Order: sequence, then structure tokens, then C-alpha cells
Amino acid sequence: MDINIVGPKVYWTIDLPFEVPLLGSKIEINETMIISWIVMLVITGLCIFLTHNLKVEKISKRQAVAEWLVELADNFTLGNMGPKFKQFIPFVTALFATSIFSNLIGLLGVRSPTADLNTEAAWAIVVFIMITHQKIKASGFGGYLKGYTEPIAVMTPFNILSELATPIGMACRHFGNILSGLVINSLIYAALAAASAALFGLLPGVLGEVLSGIPFLDVGIPAVLSVYFDWFSGVMQAFIFCMLTTKYISNAAEG
Amino acid sequence: MLQPLFLAETATQDLVTINWTFIAQICNLFIQMLLIKKFLFKPVREILAKRQAKADADIREAEEAKTEAAAIKAEYEQNMLEAKEKANELLATAQKNAAAKSEEMLKDASSQAAAIKQKAEADIAQERRKAVNELKDEIGSMAMEIAGKVIEREISEKDHSRLIDEYISNVGNA
Repeated sequence: MDINIVGPKVYWTIDLPFEVPLLGSKIEINETMIISWIVMLVITGLCIFLTHNLKVEKISKRQAVAEWLVELADNFTLGNMGPKFKQFIPFVTALFATSIFSNLIGLLGVRSPTADLNTEAAWAIVVFIMITHQKIKASGFGGYLKGYTEPIAVMTPFNILSELATPIGMACRHFGNILSGLVINSLIYAALAAASAALFGLLPGVLGEVLSGIPFLDVGIPAVLSVYFDWFSGVMQAFIFCMLTTKYISNAAEG
Repeated sequence: MLQPLFLAETATQDLVTINWTFIAQICNLFIQMLLIKKFLFKPVREILAKRQAKADADIREAEEAKTEAAAIKAEYEQNMLEAKEKANELLATAQKNAAAKSEEMLKDASSQAAAIKQKAEADIAQERRKAVNELKDEIGSMAMEIAGKVIEREISEKDHSRLIDEYISNVGNA
């Protein structure tokens, strides 16, 4: 049997009359985009569900959850970044919510948007621009450029490398974890299906032929492994990505 | 055999590639941020602010009520103090009046007693005078009788009376 692990499926293709460097000349509406929109709908729907009919007193459990989430977002962001970064709360929350929902939606059998490097690269580049913005704001454009030559001018290439390593590292860490989970899961599914076929193929006659076609071992066993590869890894990566985002941005603001 | 969804069926992209999805995901992230801001943070923060305002108003009201109660208490205490003073004043006046009255009564009694004493003395003096007069008369007639018997000499009534008067006046002076 062949196991073929590929990128997201392409549903529609929009041809552009020009070529954009790096991005190519055609916009492909693929699985990643569709699932991302579903994730966005789910998150937004959840927000609307949690915050409709809010009351000042005698609050419902729903409202308590909404208020708890807001408090959690405030505490996480301000706790990591300091009180002057209030405007980053919605961004960090959106990043975390999108990341965790994208990671966990893979449990439903669809391809996670985070199993596509484009997603993490997009987030990382946004964070990178924010980091750079904070650095320039803190020490001016000249000071920002001068920062690359410290402690000595010879270090400049290495400083540039380390600067670029930040977004690449963030993107690849998240992407690698989710992709590895996906790869391992597909390997396990395939292996268990093969094992199932071999096991039930031992049965004689038609019974063995029919039963060996059904991957019985794929029921249940992958769920146990998915506790680590999907649940733990998914939550962990979302947390790490947001943690790094807050830390990098607040460090950049210190100059 | 069941095929997991990620296995190739239709056209797929490469596993690791950068394409227009990158731009789409940047847009998605910011749209998601605005949606979360609008549908989660804005309503929850509004309700939290309202609750804060209500709590502040409640505390303010409670403080006002406390101040009012303190004012009422102070007024009550003031009134109590005034009432006590008034009562004390009344008591003092009553005591003073009673003392004055009893003194007056004592004075009256003593003056009455004095008057009674005076009257009694006057009575006694009168009685005494009366007794003296009676005694004078009696002594006069007794003396006349004794003298008539002893001297056996008739004395004129006129001399007789003069002699008696002389005698009595001596007696009275004695």
C-alpha cells in the first residue's frame, strides 16, 4: 500500500494575468482557506453565542464563561507584556483562538489549516512586523538599524540571521508539530488498517475477504494517540506561539 | 478501503509551499481579530463597565445613607440632651419652689405661733389684772372688817374708802 502525504486539496483556481514573485500567478482556493473560514465562523459564532443577552447582575453560566474568557485574555496578554500593551489583547486572543481551533478541528477528520505552512508563515510575518514596529518605535529607525551592528560591526550578518530566525522559527515550530501529528496519524491509520487486513485475512473463505477490507483496528486506537499528537500538541503549540508573540513584542518595545 | 481525507484524490498543493493562502491567512487573522473585538470584547467590556458603574453607585448610595443616619443620630442625641437639660431644669425649679414654699410655711407657722404666744401672754396679763382687782376688793373688805372689829371705832365711809385705796395701791405697787 502507498501512503501519500500531500498538501491541501485545491477546489477552485483563479488565474491572475500577472506573476507575483513567491506567491505565483494563480490563486487557489484550497482546503486550508475553506477550513480557516469555517474556524472563523465557529469562533465568531461562539463569541456571539456567549455574549448575547448580557446582564449586569444574575448572570448566566454563558455570560460567566464570556467574562472569564475576557479576563483570561487580559491576564495572559497584560501579564506577559505589561499594562501598556492593552491594544494587543484582541490580536493575541485572535491568534490563540484561531490557532487552537485550527489545530483541534483536525480531530474532525478535516485537514487542519495549521498543517499548511502558509498559515503559520502569515501569523509569524505579522508578528515579525509588529516586533520590528515596536523596535523602531522604541529606538528610532537609526537606532533600530544600529542595533544590528552591536556589539561590533562584524556581527551584523549574524544579527540579521537571528532577527530572521525569529519568525521562521515560530512558523516552523508550530507547522512542524501539527504536520508531524498529521503524518504520524496517517501512518498509524495506514499501519493499523494493514494490520487489521492481515489479521482478519487469516479467517477462511469469503468471511476473511470481507472482514479484511474493514479496518477494525482503526477504531479507538488512534484516538488514544491523538490525545498527545492532536490535543496536547495542538493546545501546546497555540500557547507557545502566543507566549512567544507577547514576549517578543514586549521585549522589542524595551529597545 | 476507506481513504482518509488527506490522501490524494483531486489536485493538491505541495506539502510545504508558500502561495496566495499566505495573503489570505494574514487577512483572515485581522478579520478574526476584528470579529473577536466586536463580538466578544466590546459587549463584555461594556457590561463590566456597567457593573462597575452600578457597584460604584451602590457604594455611593450606601455612604449617603450612612451620612444621613449619622446626622439623624446626632440630631436624636442633641434632642435627648436638650430633653435631659429641660428635665433637670424642671426638677431644679420644682425643688426651689418646694424649698421656698416650705420656708414660707415655716415662717407662717412661727409667726402664727408668735401671735398665739402674744395673745396668750395678753390673756395671762389680763387674767392677772383681774385677779389683782378681785384680790384688792376682797382684801379691802377684809381689812375693813378686821379694822372695824379691832379698833371699834366707826370710821366714816369716806375715810374708809380712802384708806383702802391707799392700801391697795401700796399692795398693787408691791
